[in-house]
Amino acid sequence: MTKTGEIAPLAAKERYKPGVLKYKQMGYWAPDYEPSETDILAVFRITPQDDVDPEEAAAAVAGESSTATWTVVWTDRLTDHSHYQAKAYRLEPAPGSPGQYFAYIAYDIDLFEEGSIANLTASIIGNVFGFKPLKALRLEDMRIPTAYLKTFQGPPTGIVGERERLNCYGRPLLGATMKPKLGLSGRNYGRVVYEALSGGLDFTKDDENINSQPFMHWRDRFLYCMEGVNKANAVSGEIKGHYLNVTAATMEDMYERAEFARDLGSVIVMIDLVIGYTAIQSMAKWARRNDMILHLHRAGHSTYTRQKAHGVSFRVIAKWMRMAGVDHIHAGTVVGKLEGDPNVVRGIYDTCRETHVPKNLEHGIFFDQPWASLKKMMPVASGGIHAGQMHQLLTYLGEDVVLQFGGGTIGHPMGISAGATANRVALEAMVKARTEGRDIWNEGPDILVQAARSCAPLRAALDTWAHVTFDFASTDSVDFVPTPTAS
Amino acid sequence: MRLTQGQFSFLPDLTDPEIAAQCAYALDQGWSMAVEFTDDPHPRNVYWEMWGAPMFDLKDPAGVVIEVNACREAQPRCYVRLLAFDASKGFETLRMSFIVHRPPDEPGFELIRADGPGRNIGYTLRPYAADAPPGRRYGPGRTP
Amino acid sequence: MTTPSNVIDATVPDRIDLAALANQVELGEMFEELDAELVGLAPVKRRIQEISALLVVDRARAQVGLTSTPPSLHMCFTGNSGVGKTTVARRMARILHRLGYIRRDHVVSVTRDDLVGQFIGHTAPKTKEALKRAMGGVLFIDEAYYLYRPENERDYGQESIEILLQVMEDNRDDLVVILAGYSEQMKAFFSSNPGMASRVAHNIDFPDYSTEELFRIAKLIAEQMNYRFDAEGAVAMLDYIKRRQARPNFANARSIRNALDRARLRQARRLCDGWSAVVDREALETIRAEDIRASRVFTDGDDGR
Repeated sequence: MTKTGEIAPLAAKERYKPGVLKYKQMGYWAPDYEPSETDILAVFRITPQDDVDPEEAAAAVAGESSTATWTVVWTDRLTDHSHYQAKAYRLEPAPGSPGQYFAYIAYDIDLFEEGSIANLTASIIGNVFGFKPLKALRLEDMRIPTAYLKTFQGPPTGIVGERERLNCYGRPLLGATMKPKLGLSGRNYGRVVYEALSGGLDFTKDDENINSQPFMHWRDRFLYCMEGVNKANAVSGEIKGHYLNVTAATMEDMYERAEFARDLGSVIVMIDLVIGYTAIQSMAKWARRNDMILHLHRAGHSTYTRQKAHGVSFRVIAKWMRMAGVDHIHAGTVVGKLEGDPNVVRGIYDTCRETHVPKNLEHGIFFDQPWASLKKMMPVASGGIHAGQMHQLLTYLGEDVVLQFGGGTIGHPMGISAGATANRVALEAMVKARTEGRDIWNEGPDILVQAARSCAPLRAALDTWAHVTFDFASTDSVDFVPTPTAS
Repeated sequence: MRLTQGQFSFLPDLTDPEIAAQCAYALDQGWSMAVEFTDDPHPRNVYWEMWGAPMFDLKDPAGVVIEVNACREAQPRCYVRLLAFDASKGFETLRMSFIVHRPPDEPGFELIRADGPGRNIGYTLRPYAADAPPGRRYGPGRTP
Repeated sequence: MTTPSNVIDATVPDRIDLAALANQVELGEMFEELDAELVGLAPVKRRIQEISALLVVDRARAQVGLTSTPPSLHMCFTGNSGVGKTTVARRMARILHRLGYIRRDHVVSVTRDDLVGQFIGHTAPKTKEALKRAMGGVLFIDEAYYLYRPENERDYGQESIEILLQVMEDNRDDLVVILAGYSEQMKAFFSSNPGMASRVAHNIDFPDYSTEELFRIAKLIAEQMNYRFDAEGAVAMLDYIKRRQARPNFANARSIRNALDRARLRQARRLCDGWSAVVDREALETIRAEDIRASRVFTDGDDGR
């Protein structure tokens, strides 16, 4: 790649002369191209090296993520090459970030195997992220055409199916992750499950790194957890669940564990993002076949989603996961301890839950995305949230979400069951107030205090945590900020 | 034992005006409402008896509250719940569900464990009230 | 309905500004709208003002702590076809809503067929269904006397009437019922259903429109449709109205609207005659005498079509 300069299109004879050409000359920069309805579209944030022409950089990204290699090859001429080439069709400077650009690239649908996230990602993020002429590269968003979406199964259960199975409507679901994450024996672990569920939660959860360690082998964990779940069902008359993490070294192990969970009557199993896209799709198919809800913990995602200049935005991961087919996905809390700018989180939640997500730059959504008839994913909000934030959580995250209070349940001064009750009472009181038309954003704290009058556990929770906030600036924020108009 | 199905079972029982306020919200969203009752509150008993068909095209909650009260009066020993149906694309399911009446006493559920090989256990819930024939399951007159 | 909650105040005032109270709910504007929308009907408008005054005073009394049972608001509108009963019912609903006597500004309009079933067991659900849909607003029962058919002893209308009576009594806070129909038949209906008569607090009689009022209505309707009469056309219209009034099945404003629809048809036919004419704006908006005088009212003896 060389320095900035105008480049004229080449005749075929010149174009295929052995040697090195600019990607632009090879046809990967196509500003006049009109994306077709069936194209897969991607927008990348590119940071070219100082002496690299941004258009050439965009063309290089298009080339490296589709047909090109670093030099001219005559075998291109055995194909309908211009059809298979990805085309960088638009380039815009990123607002407020000098040296960064948004490059829009269109890929023909024929480039991809149907129903395969592995194949899709092998192209889009396969080689290109290490490309030297770029200082940094980030995949910001994608538009998946209906034609390609329909080759994917999507979530095995979906929000509607999950609620109908759990017999739970009209309020967020409540969960908690077992703590300490590691070290509890099976018997002690199941105790926490029982206490939390019988106190009023809908779900408890294995943490991402609970698999089958020396302190608790997986069968033990499953048996004790299901004892806790079923006892809690009996004392409440509700249908509850524990996300049994079936993550393991091989697919065979995962199937074995998932089948055991199913045979014990669990309604849900869990996997980690680190098992890889193919394993996720396999488990999605298994879950559809076996009528199980599939929970995905996004373990590892922050290694590539958090930095604004390089990596893959989480909204793209969420999109891929809805295609691959998971029912639950951790998607941010806004108010908790983990990364989550309100606008970014909104964009991710829309990607999970809406049947049509319109372009909205303020939420980081670069394209209209109709979801065809793929089911909706239930977002999960987890990490440093507590009952005192209930009004904020309901306002930011809405009704179709699992609110997971790990420390906020298990760390309750009156015990785990009381912690669960505090969360459930706070939630029900807030939903009821919202429906009654009260301004929960402003009256929220009063509504909680009111509800705590007849609920000692909630009072204790508010006394303990009401002032805990995690008020840090997010590293992953949106670029497009609404400016007040001067009319 | 207090059955905690539905949206508001952890709060004090809703008064009629509170029920009306919830209905007003549902009707404003264009949802239709239905009253259902049962003497078998097993969590997987999906189909409670319908107290008439779902009420479509209502504008005001007063009509719903009339039916809730009529059902309570006719079925004092049953659970009564109020449901809101959303017919819009992407939902086409219940959007609200909460209990508006409970029997005078709630005996709860027995957890039955069927031992299998390899420490496997098959779990079953059984409402204690199911020992009595329908109609005599809850409250005074229940067979011990 | 019980006293609107927004007037209950911990501090009881010793003076009440009734005009301010009326302004607060834009009562004046509503009367003006009523005047603009409905020609004539002076006695009806007077009755609406009286009822409104009663309700304003009721609110004022509540503000100074003079409690009394909330006024009964079920009404009966009597009069011939096309005299504006349905329109006035809509206006009444708005007034009651603004003053806080009903929760929603809506009118559910029904007739016997919506309330009474054909088979045993059908009537109660049908009547209850209509009542539930009307809750919070106004239930307008047109030609209410058809509910009662004494000649048929197995008629289910009586069952419907009983449910209505029950709800009119028990749910006075939730619903206002307006019964409507021809005067004579309503009188007969009330005399055989004294329970119903006793629950209806306000009877409003709608007189027939005078010839002059009907002519104003004709001009108003034409104007709304962007038509106008030329001088001879206006004379013809007035002439038409006089003849039409004397005929059977005359339905006041409704007959005028129908006559104008037919005049439009004739005007169009006239303009398109031979498909050769080039017309200007004036021609397109003008209704001429011949468009009206072609009516059978001027020739033969049937009902004027």
